[in-house]
Amino acid sequence: MSDLKDCPPLKYYDFKPVEHVKVCPRYTAVLGRSEDDGIGIEELDTLQLELETLLSSASRRLRALEEQRQILTDWQDKKGDKRFLKMGKEVDPAVSSRHPKPKKPKLEGKAGHGPGPGPGRPKSKNLQPKVQEYEFSEDPQDIPRNPKNDAPNRFWASVEPYCADITNEEIRVLEELLKPPEDEAEYYKIPALGKHYSQRWAQEDLLEEQREGARANDKKKSMLGPLSEIDAKDVDALLKKSESQHEPPEDGCPFGPLTQRLLQALVEENIISPMEDSPIPDIPVKDDGAGTSPRSQGKAFSVPHTRSLEARIREELVAQGLLDSEERQGTGGDSEDEVLAELQKRQAELKALSAHNRARKQELLRLAREEMRKQELRQCVRVADNEVMEAFRRIMAARQKKRTPTKKEKDQAWKALKERERILKQLDG
Amino acid sequence: MKLVHCFVAGSMALVSADTKIAELLNELHQLIKQTQEERSRSEHNLLNIQKTHERMQTENKTSPYYRTKLRGLYTTAKADAEAECSILRHALDKIAEIKSLLEERRIAARMAGVYNDSDPPRKTMRRGVLMTLLQQSAMTLPLWIGKPGESPPPLCGAIPASSDYVAKQGDKVAARVKAVDGDEQWILAEVVSYNHSTNKYEVDDIDEEGKERHTLSRRRIIPLPQWKANPETDPEALFSKDQLVLALYPQTTCFYRALIHNPPHRPQDDYSVLFEDTSYADGYSPPLNVAQRYVVACKENKKK
Repeated sequence: MSDLKDCPPLKYYDFKPVEHVKVCPRYTAVLGRSEDDGIGIEELDTLQLELETLLSSASRRLRALEEQRQILTDWQDKKGDKRFLKMGKEVDPAVSSRHPKPKKPKLEGKAGHGPGPGPGRPKSKNLQPKVQEYEFSEDPQDIPRNPKNDAPNRFWASVEPYCADITNEEIRVLEELLKPPEDEAEYYKIPALGKHYSQRWAQEDLLEEQREGARANDKKKSMLGPLSEIDAKDVDALLKKSESQHEPPEDGCPFGPLTQRLLQALVEENIISPMEDSPIPDIPVKDDGAGTSPRSQGKAFSVPHTRSLEARIREELVAQGLLDSEERQGTGGDSEDEVLAELQKRQAELKALSAHNRARKQELLRLAREEMRKQELRQCVRVADNEVMEAFRRIMAARQKKRTPTKKEKDQAWKALKERERILKQLDG
Repeated sequence: MKLVHCFVAGSMALVSADTKIAELLNELHQLIKQTQEERSRSEHNLLNIQKTHERMQTENKTSPYYRTKLRGLYTTAKADAEAECSILRHALDKIAEIKSLLEERRIAARMAGVYNDSDPPRKTMRRGVLMTLLQQSAMTLPLWIGKPGESPPPLCGAIPASSDYVAKQGDKVAARVKAVDGDEQWILAEVVSYNHSTNKYEVDDIDEEGKERHTLSRRRIIPLPQWKANPETDPEALFSKDQLVLALYPQTTCFYRALIHNPPHRPQDDYSVLFEDTSYADGYSPPLNVAQRYVVACKENKKK
């Protein structure tokens, strides 16, 4: 096989030229004539046939040569071996131009000139066989063997992992894989719903304003800070109380219900107190404060973001624990939350998939363990085989020495055979 | 007086044609000698190839050295073969040229004969002579030998003429004519002229005993092949076994339906065909040989 692979599929055509003396008598006769004798018209037909024979043979030869040459070239190209390529490059010009090859100038030159006519031919004929023998002794080992062995090896190497025995290492990897990953829980967590972006922005705005407001207040009454906090709580409690009585806002009022209620509460409580005396931070304070002052009202009206103000107030109240967060319940409702629905869907998918994977892995582990067991048995079979063969050899040796095998040998043989059978049965079962 | 003039002119033309032919023959002679030179030159190389082949086969493996050597030898041999082919083609062309001159001379002579009552032409050519002539012309039908990669042209072997092909004067054709008794027959005929306006041929029955001139539509004319196909290089240009053809029945000048029994194997071989013949039990004659030149495709499929 290796030899076949090593040979281009040449046909070794017989390129022997037509023996014109035999096949083409008229042609031969004409060749022998002097110019004076010439050719007669009556000879034309025969000559034509003979020339056609020659031409047919020559063009058949031409085709065959072209085909064979192509085979050689293709085959050489296909080999792709660097050495071939190198050689081909070196040789090509030598062939086409019939110049001696730089490397082995002597023999290549002869070989190149050999085909042509010339006095050098007989000499080269004598030379070539010697050279060829030399080439042969060296080449087959060097060149064709490398590529020949390479491909099957690579193939088997690629196949090996699929056929090899299962090792403990592999089992361990499987077991490792079966452990649920630590971050699994991570994927099933449903994060708490954050604040709606409009609320968050509103809060940020509020904070900013508070900071600005605080700066302004700090200048006036820095000591009132802690007090106002407590007072705020009270106000909120009031707010909460009044919430139930609250009615939808009248038309035209830009403020939300909470804002209005807050203000309402303040107005009601502080209606008597003189508004001039109450500074702004005192507004929330029950006893004094001037929430209803036309100045502050006008200021409130000019606030463009009444809606966000409302939201901010609500947010604040909720944060203070004074309001039950209805909204939270509302947005937390499963039916409307697309994101949640999607999340749950994906989690269900993940759960199914990982369950499936786990089942597969378990199955694989089971099979691997089984296979391990079988492998061990097979190992035992091999050992048993060896034992049987050993016993057989001993008995055969005894036979050859023309003595009957001893009882011990027989027992051993039987024991080995039975042992082997036992293991085989186990393996089949 | 006028006739005499014609005759003289004809003779002069013949004389000049003669010298031309002699010249060509001389050239042909030279070509043949060159051919042989070329052939003996390439012989060495072919021998070398053969030896290398033998050596490689006995060694039973191919070393790069041999492959390279062989490739070199093949390349040289190929160049030699090309040169040989080219010179042979040249020689064959020369022969064809001479032959066409001879043919011109024949037609001229016949024309002269027609007008010259004093020199009655071989009006009654003996049948045997005619048959020999037909055989001869079949045998010397040039063999088509293409260069590698060239496919055979129309009118080579079984390849039909293109649909707009018009046979030239003097071409041999199969012509479907109505005989006196009303039967239709395919006869071997020679084209006299073609009328482009009526799309009709004037043809002469080759069998001059009939001495009849037919005017036939081009549908009734099948040009005979102008080259033999080479079974060795262009087997696809031959009719294949069991194909239905019209073939010239041996020793007649009529074409009959036949089945190819065996296509030729060598350039000079004939087809072996089975003619439809009700006098045989199976409806076909025993195999008979017919030259490539006289086998053409059978168009009509209905029984006659």
